[in-house]
Amino acid sequence: MRALGPESVSSFLKIAVDVVYAAACIAVAVVGPLCLVMLVYLPFGPAVPRLSLGGHLWVSPLPTLALVAVLLVVEAYVGCLVVILNRIRRIMETLVRGDPFHPDNVARLRWVGAAMVGLEAAAYGVRALLDQVGPHSAALRASDGWFNPTAWFAVLVVFVLAEVFREGARLRRDSELTI
Amino acid sequence: MTIRVRLDRVLYERRMSLSELADRVGITVANLQILKSGRARALRISTLDALCRALDCQPGDLLGFDHSPTDDPDSPDAEDGLD
Repeated sequence: MRALGPESVSSFLKIAVDVVYAAACIAVAVVGPLCLVMLVYLPFGPAVPRLSLGGHLWVSPLPTLALVAVLLVVEAYVGCLVVILNRIRRIMETLVRGDPFHPDNVARLRWVGAAMVGLEAAAYGVRALLDQVGPHSAALRASDGWFNPTAWFAVLVVFVLAEVFREGARLRRDSELTI
Repeated sequence: MTIRVRLDRVLYERRMSLSELADRVGITVANLQILKSGRARALRISTLDALCRALDCQPGDLLGFDHSPTDDPDSPDAEDGLD
């Protein structure tokens, strides 16, 4: 199977990225209105939201205000993912076209790296927020560790890739100007 | 770039147009324009061979070296503009 062009590995990867991008867009579209509903519900509802479904009563593990804050953070996180995935989609489009070292891909990769730095920094803020919420947050804590070396390594890899693509774009331009 | 391509002069001497040369050599007019304007970064030997055959000339008739200093932005020391 070819690496570039139609019906290549890149085209299948692009399909996978497109599917994840669509799912992220749906998540943003669902969580956003939910945040708005909770913000409207906030001054009028109980301190701890309750929902009765088919005879079962669901009680939120978080107070309403904390739940709204979590939903807003989730919305912002998924929104950042949409931005990252959109740029990756644009890069994959150039790959499928057989022109991977397009100059625009350099900026796109840098934006992806910057967004990943922002997400990781925001995650630290979210963990600090959850620590402040108190015992109700115990069920929502993902991990006890603060520093995630794998995530920062991924950021480094993305920025290194951006420099590789910058050199590739320079070689592409040289190739275009070779008669 | 201090290497000059004297394509205009040779075309004039041979009474040939750029599009006619493009047809004979199998290179697009756009690429010949790049070559003629000095914006080309490199010239393949095969292209030089095809040009010399089509124009019935020597490589030295087409290429010249300019000893004067240049402010050409395409010089190897210039930034590539991708920073």
